[in-house]
Amino acid sequence: MRTRFHPVLLCLLFSAVATASTASSPMQLAREIDRLINQQCAPELRAELVGESQYIRRATLDLAGRIPTVAELQDFRNSESLTKRQDLIQQLVSSADFAFHQRNELDTLLLRRLEHNDNWRAYLLEATRENRKWDELFRQIMVPEDDEDHRSAAFLRKRISDLDSATNDSSIAWFGVNIGCAKCHDHPLVMDWTQAHYYGMASFFKRTFQTRAGSVGERFDGSIGYTTTDGDSRKSEFMFLTGTKLVEPDSELEEAKQKEINEAIKKSESDAKAPPPPQPQFRPRSNLVRIALADTEQNFFARNIANRLWARMFGRGLIHPLDQAHSENPPSHPALLDLLARDLREHEFDLRRTLHAIALTDTYARKAHAKDPPPDELFAGAIPRPLTPHQFSLSLLIASANPTEMQGLSSKQEWNQQREELEQKSESVARQLEIPDDGFQVSVTESLWFSNHPQIQNEYLQSGGNRLVGSLLRFESDEELIREAIQAVLCRDPDPDEMTAMLQYLQNKTERRTDAIGQIVWALMSSPEFRFNH
Amino acid sequence: MNLNAQPSLNRRSSLNRRSLLRLAGAASTATLAADMSSIEALASPALTESLKQSGKRVILLWLAGGASQLETWDPKPGRLTGGPFSKIQTCVPGIEISELLPKMSSRLKETAIIRSLNTKIADHGNAYQLMDTGRTPEPSLKFPHLGATIAHELGQRDSQVPDYVTMYTSTEGRRQGTAGFLGGRYNPMFLTDQMMPANIKRLDSITEIDHRDRADLRDLMANIFDRKQSHPMYDAHNSAYDRVRGLMASDHLFDIEREPQSVRNHYGPTQFGQQCLIARRLAEAGVPFIKVARAWWDSHGQNFETHQELCADLDHCMSALLDDLKARGMLDSTLVITLGEFGRTPDINGSLGRDHFASAWSCTLSGCGIRGGSVFGKSDEDGKTVIEGEMNAGDLFATIFAALGIDHHKEFMVGSRPIPIADFDSEPCFDILA
Repeated sequence: MRTRFHPVLLCLLFSAVATASTASSPMQLAREIDRLINQQCAPELRAELVGESQYIRRATLDLAGRIPTVAELQDFRNSESLTKRQDLIQQLVSSADFAFHQRNELDTLLLRRLEHNDNWRAYLLEATRENRKWDELFRQIMVPEDDEDHRSAAFLRKRISDLDSATNDSSIAWFGVNIGCAKCHDHPLVMDWTQAHYYGMASFFKRTFQTRAGSVGERFDGSIGYTTTDGDSRKSEFMFLTGTKLVEPDSELEEAKQKEINEAIKKSESDAKAPPPPQPQFRPRSNLVRIALADTEQNFFARNIANRLWARMFGRGLIHPLDQAHSENPPSHPALLDLLARDLREHEFDLRRTLHAIALTDTYARKAHAKDPPPDELFAGAIPRPLTPHQFSLSLLIASANPTEMQGLSSKQEWNQQREELEQKSESVARQLEIPDDGFQVSVTESLWFSNHPQIQNEYLQSGGNRLVGSLLRFESDEELIREAIQAVLCRDPDPDEMTAMLQYLQNKTERRTDAIGQIVWALMSSPEFRFNH
Repeated sequence: MNLNAQPSLNRRSSLNRRSLLRLAGAASTATLAADMSSIEALASPALTESLKQSGKRVILLWLAGGASQLETWDPKPGRLTGGPFSKIQTCVPGIEISELLPKMSSRLKETAIIRSLNTKIADHGNAYQLMDTGRTPEPSLKFPHLGATIAHELGQRDSQVPDYVTMYTSTEGRRQGTAGFLGGRYNPMFLTDQMMPANIKRLDSITEIDHRDRADLRDLMANIFDRKQSHPMYDAHNSAYDRVRGLMASDHLFDIEREPQSVRNHYGPTQFGQQCLIARRLAEAGVPFIKVARAWWDSHGQNFETHQELCADLDHCMSALLDDLKARGMLDSTLVITLGEFGRTPDINGSLGRDHFASAWSCTLSGCGIRGGSVFGKSDEDGKTVIEGEMNAGDLFATIFAALGIDHHKEFMVGSRPIPIADFDSEPCFDILA
């Protein structure tokens, strides 16, 4: 593979890190983000800003988890407010949609489909509805036994039977660090990660066990022995990624007491009605949470989530891949990542604020380059992103509905209820779709499903009055019909070539007009323009 | 074949440590890693041609649940562990197999037997993972299954036929297979409750002409969009839709009614036989990887009755398949693998069963790239340990790749981590390669 690199990027990557000051409002933060991005990206490389239709589609997908409705599109276009983009973003981050979308994103990040767990999802939804802060979620999820509510235990419960999964998945999800390689040997490529780090992190989970009641507990002792590549035997220490070690205080328990504790733990493992197991004085996972939150130097916890939010909005992390935070893989924009991480800390880990600010930047509002884009890591133009399973499934439901019955945020009162129903309705299709990762490619399984499964015909192309196809039947003018179809599905006006082709299509099939309209809608929904956020 | 010598289609090259090393000439010249973007690079015609191991195919006969090596390829009659069946001389002097495989005994000239697998893992779930990916699982890394790797190496990007088909109609132990980090493009087409893949047939509610016309209209929309912006992900999306019509047209490949009665008789009436025949039809049409699973060999009780029944099916169907491939001149380019997740214990339990056993068991490779009529490795006289030529899952996979002419040292980049196509430190077994 030949790697091309960009001279501008290369000099800037190693140039002095500009300092950045934190900002008070999301808008100020947005300006600061633009300044830091523009520092590394010459004006002639930057793509122009998108028009309003593309902007509302992009922002609604990113903040509400779905495409905009026709009513929302029209309201936005008709608005004469000088701050209409800011108004839109404010409306979106305050919407019921935002909490659903944020829930789905966090579920994917944390549970990765290890299971579909309605209780856990309900817990996350409550949290995102009240915009619970990220450090609070971290505490609740990593030390679930401190709450009576066991729902947050799903993250650990799904992994604790396998110490390697608990260790590595936790490091990846919360700290952006994949130390899997360092289990059997010091990391071959990355000096940062040694076996001591791997077992250091693993030791925080070693004593965790699952209770029958659905939570977790910790034993009073337990450590890990391992063998180095030189053949030396070692005992693990409690050590965080930064090298911070924790010394366990000596505590000798009397034999009788030890026996009593062991029996209580055993009972809690086998009996759902048993009282919660006794808690040791020294609690490794609580300490992990404490040490991770106190790490303001390397700031793994804050930088990881800042990087993940950035990647969600731009299709690429400032550190990329997202689980490779280490000295050999520096961020493309060190000062920017520092700024975002610091801002999160200063604002109590308010994820909504970060997303709000990012959505207000010019960097976020740039078009994709038509041809020969500069390297992605300059963020000079938009990088297309496949819709997530939920975004895709919800957007299909919105697009296929009769637009007059799908007002979205244009009718605030009814919408919350309707959105909740859509969320439930979108589940079954969302669960069948692949979660896009780096290098994602749409599979033939999807294209065959979309081409030939009865559900597509019966659900999305149905011609009843409450559906898009049914509503289009009422148009007398073919041009108006096509305009409405393209607005409903692709959230924009038709291009002249499309108009010509679709007029022709309808004309060729006048005797099967309902079918022809359904086929036009199908062609729009199966286009890459619909399948991606761009 | 050095992937790195080829230009990548991915214009968005990333600047990481490895690429800097490469640019600085500091990387070893022996093995430079293929970036994940090289998957996209399959679109490059020059690369496509040079990469493809012309016309090679794999048919995997998967013995789900774990067949007994003692009742198949490594019999031990007369020993306490041997069970009631005897061994028979094969057409290759010096090689004897269980009497339960009489048909195969006369067809061993195309087949190599490996009698020295020691894969250590003996529970179904993990052993299946191991034998389908060739390595032990790692947290946070989704390894591709053999079929996906072969589809990636041997498949044509815009192929009009599927490139990874897996058939498993049994309700027990159904396993679908995944492309892992290679991406959804290489996921299997999975036949579940019928002999036809899902969604391959046009619905009655749309006419043939309308189905085609709307696909053309979709293409036109995609082309207009491409004028505004292009990206390899859009190309992959379009390619998935471009392949729909071809895949639908390949439905006849799954229809064995189209075979002459004599051929169908040759494969026999069992489901396994019919699926082997479909596998041959698919291989002939250019499908690079087909897995046919036969269940359920997990004979914790009544091992001998179970094997009497299942071995008869295996013996008949495997022989029919090899005969048919040979008669069509396809055996030189088709590798037939007979494998399960593990073998069975030499010790016979109280229910006259054999339990899970992964310390000394057998599999076979036939056809493409294989030195037929050979045996590799040896278990002790009771079949309890490997005493010669111990082989693990990685070595078996390296051997499979080598037989197909795929460089087993080749690497994929997953994030910034190089992952060799066959597990670290694995080596092909050259003794059984042609």
